[in-house]
Amino acid sequence: MASLTPTEPAVTTEEHAFEPRPYANPYLAGIGLGLVLLSAFVFMGRGLGASGAFNSTIAWLLSLVAPGYAASNEFLARYLDVPGHPLKAWLVFEVLGVFAGAVLSGVLAKRMSRTVEKGPRASVTLRLGFAFLGGFLMAFGAALGRGCTSGQALTGGAILNAGSWIFMMCFFGGAYGAAWFVRRQWR
Amino acid sequence: MNAPLYKFGAFGDETSLVVAFVIGIGFGWFLERAGFGNARKLMAQFYLTDMAVFKVMFTAVVTAMLGVTYLAWAGWLDLSLVYYVPTFWVTAIVGGLLMGVGFVIGGYCPGTSVVSMATGRLDGLVYVGGFTAGTLGFALGYPAFRDLLAMGDLGVLTLPEVTGVSWGIVAFAVVLMAVGGFAGATWVERWMTAKADPAARAD
Amino acid sequence: MSELISTAQSPWVDPHLHVWGWEIPVYLFLGGWTAGIMVLCGWALWKGQRDERPHATFSLASSGLFILAFAAISLGMLALFLDLEHKLFVWRLYVTFEPASPMSWGAWILILVYPVLLMGILLDPPLTLTNRVPQLVPLLKKLADNLTLRRITGLLAIGTGVALGIYTGILLSALGARPLWSSAILGPLFLFSGLSAAAAFAHWASPDQPEREYLAKIDNQFLASELAIVLLFLIGLTTSTEAHLQAAQLFLGGAYTAVFWVGVVGLGIVLPLIIQSLAVTHRVPHTPLAPVLVILGGLALRFVIVSAGQISHWSRL
Repeated sequence: MASLTPTEPAVTTEEHAFEPRPYANPYLAGIGLGLVLLSAFVFMGRGLGASGAFNSTIAWLLSLVAPGYAASNEFLARYLDVPGHPLKAWLVFEVLGVFAGAVLSGVLAKRMSRTVEKGPRASVTLRLGFAFLGGFLMAFGAALGRGCTSGQALTGGAILNAGSWIFMMCFFGGAYGAAWFVRRQWR
Repeated sequence: MNAPLYKFGAFGDETSLVVAFVIGIGFGWFLERAGFGNARKLMAQFYLTDMAVFKVMFTAVVTAMLGVTYLAWAGWLDLSLVYYVPTFWVTAIVGGLLMGVGFVIGGYCPGTSVVSMATGRLDGLVYVGGFTAGTLGFALGYPAFRDLLAMGDLGVLTLPEVTGVSWGIVAFAVVLMAVGGFAGATWVERWMTAKADPAARAD
Repeated sequence: MSELISTAQSPWVDPHLHVWGWEIPVYLFLGGWTAGIMVLCGWALWKGQRDERPHATFSLASSGLFILAFAAISLGMLALFLDLEHKLFVWRLYVTFEPASPMSWGAWILILVYPVLLMGILLDPPLTLTNRVPQLVPLLKKLADNLTLRRITGLLAIGTGVALGIYTGILLSALGARPLWSSAILGPLFLFSGLSAAAAFAHWASPDQPEREYLAKIDNQFLASELAIVLLFLIGLTTSTEAHLQAAQLFLGGAYTAVFWVGVVGLGIVLPLIIQSLAVTHRVPHTPLAPVLVILGGLALRFVIVSAGQISHWSRL
C-alpha cells in the first residue's frame, strides 16, 4: 500500500520522468463544458447527468439477484421497464464516455496517479471512510433531488429550470454549512 | 426548427447511445481539464482558497444558457422539446442540502467521482462504491421516502415563469450575476492568499 | 450444443433460439488469448531468447505465460464442456475425424495445443517443479539448452497458436445458418483480437522494461490491424447479400450498435490504442488501464459477435 501516499512523486519510467501539467484555466474549461452541455441539448434535447447511470446499474444488478423484487420496487421499476437491456440507458453510455474522456485527458496531462486526495493532516483511513459516507449520503440527496450536480444544477441551470436553481443554491448552502465540520479532512 | 436532432428523428435509439458516449467523452475531458477529478481542488471552493468549482460551473451554465437562448431565438432549437426535470421545491431543498453536505464529506459528486476513479484516485473509487451502496439503500427504503418525494410539486417550471419577466431578461440577469460572482470569487481568492501569507500583503 | 450436428432439427439449420449463453464467448476468448500467448512466446523461442532468472516469470522467453495459457485454455474447455448437451459423449469427438465439422477440427487442434504448451513450460521449468522432482533437473537442463529443440518448439507454438486463433473464428463462420458469422474474416479477426489481448497482458506483466516497450509497440500494431479487420468485416457484410446486409445492420443502427461501437471499438480498441501510441513514443507514461481495456474489449468482442450472430438469420428470403 506504499503507493497510497498523498504526495506521490511524478510518474517515472526508466528513462523518462513525467511532470503532471497544471489544470486548465477555469473559464476556458467552463466554456468547453458549456459547449458540451449545449451539444447535448441540440443533439438529444436533454442535458448531462450521472446519478441516473448508478440507478440503472443498481436496478440491473438487483434484477439479477431478485428479479421479482426489483420489478416491484417503484424506484427501480422505471429503470427496468425499458425496451432493451436496462444498461442500454443514455446516462450509462454517457458515463462510460465520461470515464473515457477523463482517462484521455488525464493521460495527456500526465495526471494519472494511483493516490488518495486528502488534506495533509487527514489519514488515508479517515479519507476513504468519509468518501464512502459522502457518496452514500449523496445517493439519497440525488434520489430526493431528482438529479445530481450535473443533472440538476448544471443542466437545469442552463435552461433556467426553477427547481434546479433552488437545488443549486441549497447545494452550495449545504456544502458551505458543513465545510467547517469536516475541515480536518481537507486542511 | 430542426433541433433537438434526436427528437426530430435524425437518428435512432441505438445511435443515441453512441452519441451519449461521444458527449460523455467531452464531459469527462473538460471535468478532468478543470481539475475536478481531484477532491482537494473541488474542496478548496468551500475553504475559499480556489473558487474553480464556482467559476467553471457558472461559466458552463452561462455558455450553455446563451447558446440555448440564441438557438431558440434563431428558430433552430425547439425548447419545448427539451426535457425539464419537474420542480418539486421541497425535495429540491432537501436533496440540494443533502447533496451539499455529502459533497464536503465525500469530496466528489457522482460525475466527478467517475473522473477521479478514471484517473486512478482510490478515494474516487471508494466514493463510487458509497454512492452505489446509497442508491441501493434508497431503493430498498423507497416506501419511506415516497411521501417526501411528492412534496412541493409545481410541475415543469422555469425562472421566467416564476418571476414573470421574459427569458431574455432572466438570462441577462444570470450573466450579470455570474460576472459579479467571478469578480467576487477572484477577490476572495486573493484575500485568502494574502491572509495565508502575510508577506505577500506587505508589498 | 449437440456434438454431432446432422439433422434438420439442429438449431443451426433452423435458427429460432438463443442457444449459446456466456460459456461459448468465454471459451472463444480464452482460446484466442491462449493462441496469442503461444504465437508471442513461440516467436521468442524461435529467436533464441532466454530468461536467465532461476524462477519462472511472465517474460516471453520464460514459462509463466505458458503456464497461464495452460490454465486459460483449460478453463475455456471447462466452459465449453458446461455448454455441451451430451457431456457423457464428449469422447466421441475423438474417435472420429469429421473434415467438415469445425467442432472436430477444434478438438484435434486442442489435442496439439496441450503438448506444445507443456513443452514450452519444460524449456524454463518453474521452481515448484524442479524442487519437487530434482532428479529431472539434468534432463530438463539438457532440453532447455538444446537450441534446435527451442526453435522447433517455437515454430510449433506459432503454428498451433495461429491455427487455434483462426479456429475460434472459423468455428462460428462454418455455421452457415447465421449470416453474421458466414464471413471468412471472422478467423483473422478473432486471431488478431487474441494476439492483441495476449500482447496487452504480456506488456502489463513482463518483468523486462525493454520487452514491455516492445510488446506495447506490437500490441498497437495488432490493435490497428484488428480495427482494420473490423471495418473490412462490416464492409464485406454490407456489400454482400441482403441477409448479410441485414446482419451488418445490427451494428449500423440495429440492436448491437451501441455496445459494439462503444464497448468493443471505442473502449476496447481505440482508447487503449491512443494511450499506448502516446506511451511508446514516451510522450506520456504507461498506464495499466490500457491493457486492461484491451483484454475486456476482446472479451466484449466475443460476446457481441456470438450474441448478435444468433439474432441474425436467413428468414424472409
